[in-house]
Amino acid sequence: MKHSVGFETNVRPGEIVLEHASRSFVVHADRGRTLKEMLIGRARADGPPPVEALKDISLHVEPGETVGMVGRNGAGKSSALRVLAGILPLHAGRIAVGGQIVTQLELGAGFGRDFSGRENIYLNGALHGLSREQIESRMEAIIAFSELGDFVEAPVATYSTGMFLRLGFAIAAHLDADVLLIDEVLAVGDEAFQRKCEARMAQQISAGATLVLVSHDAALIERTCERIAVLDGGEKVFDGPVQEGMPFYHRLMGTEDPVPSP
Amino acid sequence: MNHRYLFEQMVRRELRQKYKGSALGIVWYVVNPLVLMGAYYLMFGVIFKATSEPDYPLFLLVGLVVWVFFSQAVLGAAPSLLEQGALVRKARFPRETIPAAVVTVQLITFLVLLGLLAPVTLAIRGTLDPALLLLPLVLVCLFAFVLGFALVVSVLHAYFRDVAPILAAALLPWFFLSPIFFDPGRITQQKAAVFALEWVNPVAPFIVAVRDVLYGGAVPDAPVLAYVLVAAALSLLGGHALFRRMQAELAVVV
Repeated sequence: MKHSVGFETNVRPGEIVLEHASRSFVVHADRGRTLKEMLIGRARADGPPPVEALKDISLHVEPGETVGMVGRNGAGKSSALRVLAGILPLHAGRIAVGGQIVTQLELGAGFGRDFSGRENIYLNGALHGLSREQIESRMEAIIAFSELGDFVEAPVATYSTGMFLRLGFAIAAHLDADVLLIDEVLAVGDEAFQRKCEARMAQQISAGATLVLVSHDAALIERTCERIAVLDGGEKVFDGPVQEGMPFYHRLMGTEDPVPSP
Repeated sequence: MNHRYLFEQMVRRELRQKYKGSALGIVWYVVNPLVLMGAYYLMFGVIFKATSEPDYPLFLLVGLVVWVFFSQAVLGAAPSLLEQGALVRKARFPRETIPAAVVTVQLITFLVLLGLLAPVTLAIRGTLDPALLLLPLVLVCLFAFVLGFALVVSVLHAYFRDVAPILAAALLPWFFLSPIFFDPGRITQQKAAVFALEWVNPVAPFIVAVRDVLYGGAVPDAPVLAYVLVAAALSLLGGHALFRRMQAELAVVV
């Protein structure tokens, strides 16, 4: 099962090529336009100017690399991840991602609240392009990982936040990923859950998966990623080994270790 | 990608989500149109008898069941991409499956209603004719036509939020102008008016074709069949092309 995002098709599974990528957003008070605007032929004059979420960003990730993407809120991290996932189109530049992409932008985003955990496993698996047989062959492993037990037959609406997240992660963690795109989702669970997710992620990476992880958790990035890309104001301001990147990031954020007081 | 199974899951979700937790569950899908058809029957079949077609209730109901499918499917499809916004924003999959699932659920309802109505019509009217073999073809065309229309209104509504209200407002006069409770040739002598009622409204030939086969026991006229085939192809191809063109920015606009 292979597909690629964008025009480029000769990327290897797990490879990411992002060249001169730019993307801006028109900020509206509410989403969508009304017909009146289209007929009158002019956009709303009020509101701020377009936000340039990504400005001429290039990023080449080899199969199996682990990249942490960091930066302030609004630096363009989530936009970049959504571009890599093929959800958000570029205004300029090109993007190619090889192999099966598994995205975790929001755990349980596609869950039907009235459906049982088991039914949601089928639905989410199908959303990632799996067939019934492929889902059934992973069912037991997913249920075991989620630690839901008998609750897997209960509607998701009755779940606690933790159960909901565990199920969401369990499904995504059992898809065969060439490229894993993860946005901050690990920060939500309790510590035991986080540790389990990290272990599972490490397993997938050692199996050869490429990882792009967006997080504000510097320690997590240092533990999981070899390489770090720092974004600021939609631009890539650092790209290199995590050991060199972290001090840069902390200087940027003003979060260096305080100078020990005399 | 295994989109066939995804589509199956989306239909299942659509089918069960809407009335989950209600006592009648998915039976509501059939009860609602039945009530609607009962009300229309009371109005046009009993109170205002528009024309004197033989077995008028069946004449009316066969037309109505086609209209109910068309109107419920496009009304349901129009806001469907917004309703599934969490999915559209956060996952990568063919977005056509969302409006297509809505239309498919309405198709299932339609087939159930037709399954109730058709045997009665055939028995009372005595129209069990080889022409009936054309029914599957007409129904496939009807599905393709409605699906194409649904793709258009769903993607347009995601960008322009006036589309669903305009559609809802248009459907009522559209209903009255459709040859559901009358036969255009019998209510007016004006050639232009008859032509407009029969051909300008793209739903009319579908109603006429289904009624010819089921209620009339006859093969529809060649122009009607040709219209149905062409309208189905144009709607589906055009609708899909427009959806493909406009779907790129969906994650931003929904």
